[in-house]
Amino acid sequence: MNMKKAATLALGILTSVGGFFDVGAIATSAQAGALFRYQLLWALALGTILVVFLVEMSGRFAAVTRQALPDAIRQQFGFTSWLVPFAVLTLIHFLTLGAEIGGICFALHLLTGLRVSFWALPVAALVWLFLWRSTFSAIENSTALLGLITLAFVVAAWRYHPPMGQVLAGLLPSLPHHEPARYWYIAVGLLGAVISPYLFYFYSSGAVEDEWDESYVGVNRGVAAIGMGFGSVISVGAIVVAAVVLAPRGIQVDDYHQAALMLTQVFPFWGFALFAVSMGIACLGAAVELSLAMAYTQAQTFGWNWGEDLDPREDARFCLTYTVAILAAALLILFGVDPLKLTLLSMAINAAVLPFVALPFLLLMNDRKLLGKHANGWISNSVTILTLVVAIVLAAVSIPLMFLGG
Amino acid sequence: MKKKLPDELELARDLLDKQVVDRDETKMGRVDGLVLELREGKPPRVDHLEMGSSVLARRLGPRIERWVSAFRQRIGVQKAGRYRVPWEKVQEIVPYQVKLDVKVDETPAFAWEHWLRDHVIAHIPRGLKGKTD
Repeated sequence: MNMKKAATLALGILTSVGGFFDVGAIATSAQAGALFRYQLLWALALGTILVVFLVEMSGRFAAVTRQALPDAIRQQFGFTSWLVPFAVLTLIHFLTLGAEIGGICFALHLLTGLRVSFWALPVAALVWLFLWRSTFSAIENSTALLGLITLAFVVAAWRYHPPMGQVLAGLLPSLPHHEPARYWYIAVGLLGAVISPYLFYFYSSGAVEDEWDESYVGVNRGVAAIGMGFGSVISVGAIVVAAVVLAPRGIQVDDYHQAALMLTQVFPFWGFALFAVSMGIACLGAAVELSLAMAYTQAQTFGWNWGEDLDPREDARFCLTYTVAILAAALLILFGVDPLKLTLLSMAINAAVLPFVALPFLLLMNDRKLLGKHANGWISNSVTILTLVVAIVLAAVSIPLMFLGG
Repeated sequence: MKKKLPDELELARDLLDKQVVDRDETKMGRVDGLVLELREGKPPRVDHLEMGSSVLARRLGPRIERWVSAFRQRIGVQKAGRYRVPWEKVQEIVPYQVKLDVKVDETPAFAWEHWLRDHVIAHIPRGLKGKTD
């Protein structure tokens, strides 16, 4: 394998740091561990399997057709069919971007003691400057490298020596002993946090930015598995830590402040700061990824020139899309929207729209005229359809249940 | 320049909504519409491709077309909202794009792009990206 192909792992890790282990995963993992200890690990495992397959598929699609997903979806299904999903996705991306910016602001609030809303505009400026000035590979490499700090959750989980029997038992779904509505709602939240639609738009556009061709099909498989595996292991770490630290004290995580206690036992002196920095970096990765996903989707839908490596004068509309998106999303936080509530809301919506994102995608992946011999085989199809059915049933049952039950 | 076109083309599947690039591979829009010429006693012929917001709006219905048109008249940089590409300019059709034998800067397709570049982007200090200066 040559160096260029080995370096594509950075795209996988970036996608994972931003798309997998983000503000949603932190919030839902903390809640899952605090309320149900290891019992919800199965939801994470289910989400991981689905996300590995879907990410692999979107990378393979981009490598073979040289098209990212929004581009291909508009072409294959037509402008009028794409318009409504496009509008819905733009709204979800916007809310999730707000949640991620809120996550960075919260991390800075933990470190400085200044109010969350105070940080909204400085954080927006930071995210924007990162995108405005950096090339795609600089963003990939720096975020992938910084993202390694989130391994703190895995180290902490390891040091706590969790009961392995219970951890493994959690990988199999079981019925809750208490608060069933919360249990299923958090299960759906975990799925929504893990499988966010923007992941696929971002990853496939990234593959086009990195100029993948058919020879990347094999590398892509490894990148998807290792990259998403990385995010999954960290989320497992976060659930375990929450189970050990928060659950025995009856801390329920209605507020990010409670989640911040997670690392203070293993790292007494700097656990608090470590949590804040991990959270800040994970959310920064996600904010960058979301802003780009929004700009990619917008530009590809209308055929504008796009590319993170271009001089902004060559793709003015692309750059202005992420500029406006970042500013508007930061306003949510500036005007005092609660970051945790915004996160949980966007995770639930993410899970609810999942079928509408995945089904057209599955159709594309089975189109032999587009993909030839690289079209989906029966393994990809059956794994995706099976996990998808489980996700749909969960979402259909739990979301109304939660709103009815309060 | 030699043209590179497939022997057979399904208009809706292989042409409509496809990415359009110019001679230098700059992405300039998408095939938003296709116009056929109906000929007496002969099969219809593709006369031109259409690109632009008014073409898209028309696909969504007459009311949306009126709204978009009114909006464009008020603040529009490109008042027509439509760019017609004669079939003769189609240079190459491959699965992922349609290449035109034009230079995008000389077409109305980049009216907004250029307006934003000159009125907004030009005023923000740029980073280290891009080769040109």
